[in-house]
Amino acid sequence: MTTAPASNLLARLGRFIAELPGAPMALVERVIGTSRMAYVFILPNILFFGLFVFLPIGIDIYYSFTGGTALFPSQRPGVGGLQYHYLADCKNFYDPSSCREDYFWRGMWTSLKFTLIQVSVMVLVSLATALVLNMKIRARGFFRAVYFFPVLLSPVVVALVWKWILQPQGLLNAAIVGMGGQPILFLADAGWAMFWAIFVSVWAHTGFYTLILLAGLQAIPRDIYEAADMDGTRPLRQLVRLTLPLLWPNLLVVLVLVTIRGVQTFDEVFALTGGGPGTATMMIVQYIYTTAFASQVPDYGLAAAASVVLGLLLLVLTLTQLWLTRRRGAT
Amino acid sequence: MAALELHSIAKAYGRVSVLHDISLAVADGEFVVLVGPSGCGKSTLLRVIAGLESASDGQIRLDGQDVTRLAAAERGLAMVFQSYALYPHMSVRQNIAFALENMRLPKAEIARRVQSASEMLRLEPYLERRPGALSGGQRQRVAIGRAIVRDPKIFLFDEPLSNLDAELRVATRKELAALHARIGGTMIYVTHDQVEAMTLANRIVVLRAGRIEQIGTPLELYNQPCNEFVAGFIGSPRMNFIPVTAAEAGQVQVGAARFALAAAGALAAGDKATLGIRPEHIDLAPQGGDLEVEVNLIEQLGGETFVYGVLGDGSEVTMRSEGQSAIKRGDKVGISLQRQHVHLFGADGLALR
Repeated sequence: MTTAPASNLLARLGRFIAELPGAPMALVERVIGTSRMAYVFILPNILFFGLFVFLPIGIDIYYSFTGGTALFPSQRPGVGGLQYHYLADCKNFYDPSSCREDYFWRGMWTSLKFTLIQVSVMVLVSLATALVLNMKIRARGFFRAVYFFPVLLSPVVVALVWKWILQPQGLLNAAIVGMGGQPILFLADAGWAMFWAIFVSVWAHTGFYTLILLAGLQAIPRDIYEAADMDGTRPLRQLVRLTLPLLWPNLLVVLVLVTIRGVQTFDEVFALTGGGPGTATMMIVQYIYTTAFASQVPDYGLAAAASVVLGLLLLVLTLTQLWLTRRRGAT
Repeated sequence: MAALELHSIAKAYGRVSVLHDISLAVADGEFVVLVGPSGCGKSTLLRVIAGLESASDGQIRLDGQDVTRLAAAERGLAMVFQSYALYPHMSVRQNIAFALENMRLPKAEIARRVQSASEMLRLEPYLERRPGALSGGQRQRVAIGRAIVRDPKIFLFDEPLSNLDAELRVATRKELAALHARIGGTMIYVTHDQVEAMTLANRIVVLRAGRIEQIGTPLELYNQPCNEFVAGFIGSPRMNFIPVTAAEAGQVQVGAARFALAAAGALAAGDKATLGIRPEHIDLAPQGGDLEVEVNLIEQLGGETFVYGVLGDGSEVTMRSEGQSAIKRGDKVGISLQRQHVHLFGADGLALR
């Protein structure tokens, strides 16, 4: 029992530290009243969000109304809505080459195309994977882990791994040549580059969405399926009439998340194709990045305006998700 | 409606056997209740009959036809689950109609059957509601409606009343009995509640540890239990068991008391046995009686009284008497056993007659 005095001391020290904020908090409470104490407790988080989320948003919006190449806000002349006017200066919105900022519109259209295809493929692949992984198959735990592993990789690592596979002397071409075929320039052909951008993106993220859908599938009580068996329900009808409606809340979450992340896609595709060939795989975020940081004359104002437009687009998508989920919750 | 025969049904999960050699014949239109304590295999047996589990061994015949290897849907049975297992995203009407749509019946026929079932079960006001907006009793009726519309060969019930409160349970029990009387279907019903078993069944099958202990009408099981387990399981409060030793010439000895019993003739002097007597078959005997009991608890229910006490040898005894009683805790009272209702069980637990 020689440690008793030491542990006693530690306990007293702990109590002292724990009670340290007691007196000042009591003072604050007396001054502002108990009902307002909640604001004191959320203050640290608000400050954190303010500094790293709301402040940058404000700065971005401010920059979008300024011009010139200077970095510091004080040195940037105000130009009103000129940057937005530049972005919207198009003869025909469906033809980017008729626009003043044709790369912005190319990026927009590419992101739209990428997102539409990627969302459909991702949802179908995740759903199919989740349905299979929810069955009583051998080594189910192993397969569940295997499908999730790519999610743990950094997007750039994913892109580099696939670049090695897809490059002209890569693994895939070696296999094609080995079977007597001609090598294919997968990343130098516009169609192939888009295909692989979508493929790699689905490969890298499908595990995450599979997990969400798998959780939803497992939350469906087993006896509902037993009742359906007794009712003589055929498998396809079981899927359409029972599984999909009961899985709908999870499907909706996946749909919205995939859409938002599809619009935001940048790092993976940029590391894989660099946006090329030409602008075939250049997404909107890459346009913003290039305009602000990677062009010879940085145009922070234009990039900021494009960011605001993208932000509004994502806001609409997010609000749609909230509306859909709340509407469902209400019924 | 159909008759069911089980021939030597066994079920094992890996090395764990849960059903052993179950043979049973259920006649067309009969209401058979499978009863037993938790883990006795009664629900597993029902699921094997339903086709939700496959039998490891044995044969199931429906109206003489072997259905052992048929899938659940092909057997033409309907099941009411303990949790009701209603489709939560469908209205009551869609829930009831779902199986009929699977059978691809004409729409008019589906509507007619749903209408008739919902009238019978008083579900018409709720047809457009979802299960989440119904009370437990209403959900229960929807589950039954879903079974009825299919006009199944046999109705299977898996503890259908266990999620209801006590009052509703009694009401629904009566409705089920009335339903059976009206549609006359073959019904197999699983419960652990012996009151449900006694009130609903034409015949009761008592199961223990995956084996059938006894099959009989409710009163057969009550009056002539074949062993100590069945005697203790059927009847509430349960039968009293008192250890006795056989004395000479058809007599048994309990502590210092000794009295004659017909069934004791099968015992040799000195044999150990167990005497069984139900609480309602013990009379208070102010002058002497067979045994003396020290009272340690009294429950006055108004119309009847339960008296709990201890015999000289430490055995606990419960007595039920009509009306109200003036006995107090700590009293020592004499009791006499109604001889015609005394059961005697040998050392192996089997009834001696």
